Amino acid sequence: MIQALRRELSIYKAIAGMAAKTRLAYNMWVWADFVVTIVSMIVFVYFWRAVYANTSTLSGLSLSQTITYILLARLLSPLVETRTIFFFGFMIRQGQIAVELTRPLDMQLRIMTESFAELLVFLVQRLPLFLIAWLFFGMQLPSDPALWGAFFISLVLGQIVLFLFDWMFACLAFYVTETWGLSVVRVAAGSFFSGAIVPLMMMPSWLQKLAAGLPFAQAMAVPVSFLSGISTAADAPHIWLIQITWLLVLLVLSRIVFGIAVRKVTVQGG
Amino acid sequence: MTRYLELYWYFLIQRFKILMEYRLNFFIGATSTAILQAASLTAIWVVMRQIPSLNGWNFYEVILVYGLLTMGESITHMFADNLWTVGWNYVRSGDFDRFLVRPIDPLFHLLADRFCHDGIGNLITGALLVGVSMQQLGIAFSLQHIVYIIISVLSGGVIFIALNLITATSVFWIMESIPVTQMVFTMNEFAKYPLSIYHSSIRILLTWIIPYGFVSFYPASYLLGRDVGALVWLSPLVALVFIFMAYRIWLFGLRHYSSTGS
Amino acid sequence: MAIIQVDNLNKTFKVQRKDPGLGGAVKALFLPKYEDKVAVNGISFSIDASEIVGYIGVNGAGKSTTIKMLTGILLPTSGSVLVLGRDPHRERVANAREIGVVFGQRTQLWWDLAFIESLSLVAKIYQVPQTRYKQLLDQFAETLELKELLNVPIRNMSLGQKMRAELAATLIHEPRVVYLDEPTIGLDLIVKERIREFIKEQNRTKSTTVVLTTHDLGDIEELCKRVIIIDTGKLIYDGPIETIKDRFGKYREITFETLSTPGHVDLPSGAEIILSEPRKISVRFDRTATTASGVAAALMNQLEVKDFSLSEPDLASIIMQIYNGALSEEQAT
Repeated sequence: MIQALRRELSIYKAIAGMAAKTRLAYNMWVWADFVVTIVSMIVFVYFWRAVYANTSTLSGLSLSQTITYILLARLLSPLVETRTIFFFGFMIRQGQIAVELTRPLDMQLRIMTESFAELLVFLVQRLPLFLIAWLFFGMQLPSDPALWGAFFISLVLGQIVLFLFDWMFACLAFYVTETWGLSVVRVAAGSFFSGAIVPLMMMPSWLQKLAAGLPFAQAMAVPVSFLSGISTAADAPHIWLIQITWLLVLLVLSRIVFGIAVRKVTVQGG
Repeated sequence: MTRYLELYWYFLIQRFKILMEYRLNFFIGATSTAILQAASLTAIWVVMRQIPSLNGWNFYEVILVYGLLTMGESITHMFADNLWTVGWNYVRSGDFDRFLVRPIDPLFHLLADRFCHDGIGNLITGALLVGVSMQQLGIAFSLQHIVYIIISVLSGGVIFIALNLITATSVFWIMESIPVTQMVFTMNEFAKYPLSIYHSSIRILLTWIIPYGFVSFYPASYLLGRDVGALVWLSPLVALVFIFMAYRIWLFGLRHYSSTGS
Repeated sequence: MAIIQVDNLNKTFKVQRKDPGLGGAVKALFLPKYEDKVAVNGISFSIDASEIVGYIGVNGAGKSTTIKMLTGILLPTSGSVLVLGRDPHRERVANAREIGVVFGQRTQLWWDLAFIESLSLVAKIYQVPQTRYKQLLDQFAETLELKELLNVPIRNMSLGQKMRAELAATLIHEPRVVYLDEPTIGLDLIVKERIREFIKEQNRTKSTTVVLTTHDLGDIEELCKRVIIIDTGKLIYDGPIETIKDRFGKYREITFETLSTPGHVDLPSGAEIILSEPRKISVRFDRTATTASGVAAALMNQLEVKDFSLSEPDLASIIMQIYNGALSEEQAT
């Protein structure tokens, strides 16, 4: 998983540096992502089966629930990654802040829309993998449409929460020259505390408290909990309320922090 | 060949001079791998504290396997990182041609051109994991064991490099090697855990075809006194066979590059 | 023995022809169709020691393909290349020791390393003895004015500084043959001069053979006594620059400033008016048909001339003519 994260980061760098992609080479990227995801899913399934060999529940979760949870988290993993910090770093280096700010639409809203569009495309590309996971790897999805509805709403809310947090975090790019190290920390923390590697419910309570204080869980663990039988439809309003609270707080905070950072840059020039 | 060793040393010194230019990044790089490892290890710890063993392997035994794999991977990370970037950074830009007009082996030049210090973090972390698990499991730090571990780690590193080299050669056909390398490299995820937890087809794949099993599982089995037959002695042989194959394939790729240009 | 001997050199590439659209892409994957693209077509020439030869042609004519075969990067389809008596591809390492290559805008130095560090690494790669390295370094620092640049990394250098550094790095191992691809591109006149001087000096003192690929005809005029012109893979001219000027520079122009506006003017045959303005008239004449004095005399008999100037054939326009087929025209006559 570590290598996967590190490689994904270096792939971003590679893609940024690439000129025209030949059709064949582009397809190889898609294939590579496919193979990598399948391999990691296989590893997860066998790992968890071995974990559950002598017990039927762990921390209140059955094998089936855990597998569903982990596979969903893996398939949705692009949702916890972020390119915002690279993007800010790039913009600063190119001196494009002023240009971006003078565009008619609100910058944050604009970037968020673009970001979501990209994610949507990526997820659609992953549909075959969802199918494979469902058919062959034992991912069990509920049939109750209420749960699905809860999932989607929660997913969207959670994504906005994460986006706003990243917006704030990426402002560090205004203060630090090299963003690579920061993104590593962000990726590690993001994967871990979103419950993408291990279900949050299995963590010792102090780690769970820590995870609750970070926004990553809102983007992944919380929505996925509806589909893996951890949360019920009745829990939805309560959960959405928490997410909306996160959203509002981060909306205000992120804009304030961004404003401060931008002022610093424009005052100092560059 | 002493000339190449001397030359490599010189490349290394110059590389550090470059890295020292960006001191902060140097430290961030060195610690970033450690941070990523910490996340993964915490996850394993969280899971395994709830169960007695994973398919008969307890927590420290799992860590031993994980640590050996990390050490093997760190070697390619440190010495052969350019096999990832050979496409976008060298062949596509035409900088690779420079290697062909210099009087040294182009593969040597490619690898020597970038020692990746981030890998040191992994090597140390891996060594710590191996040391701690051996201590907790009561495995003796005898000379025999130490020598065995050193040879296993080196063989493991060579296996990693060989596999990356084979896939990197695809750059001469499709101008970019990362996707192909990624697909094979990712198989090493399996070898982080004892191979016994997987279906036999996966075990066979990781033993005979993409032999990451020889980086971690078989050496660990030896140290733990688990019987897997003669496989525990085969790592160096597998490494030699694969690196030899890999170099031939690379030369084949170079020949293709000279006929078709870029 | 010639330093560089090229005989009937050919290079044909197989290029995949893809039909447009999705259907075309799918077809290309399963039933690839290849076409032959001839980049170099039966070229032969030989270059002796100490020569500085210009190797010119329009973009896509096959120049860089030829250079790649000369340097051993590319394998010829047929024909032979011998550099210093060796096949540069088969004996790559031995050949590499004795050649230097400047690849246009791409530097061989390490971007983030101080120049002196880059240089010493290059010297180590080429096994330049320490004492000789120091001597050459001092010489180059002098002639290329590199003293202030020694501790500057390449990324911080201007284009002119980069090229000077590049030349030092290319010649630090005293190669017998040097291939220069666009060495003065983008540089200002003063730097260009300095670089040309340096190349001439190296050629003089070390008998270095130089193959120069460039679009800058100033480079050609100053450095090369001989020029090889290739077009669509074929060699169309190989000879001294003077001969080009003589053969193709048969036209001269005289521009007259007159006191009155010329009406009709009688000219000797072989001369024609190419520009007629109030008080200015330009006449182009064929040197083989008439002379400058003949034209001038004829005009001055008919008009009051205030001033006049004679222009020499311009190498650039001559080359243009050659690219446009003047050679084949000439061969047809």
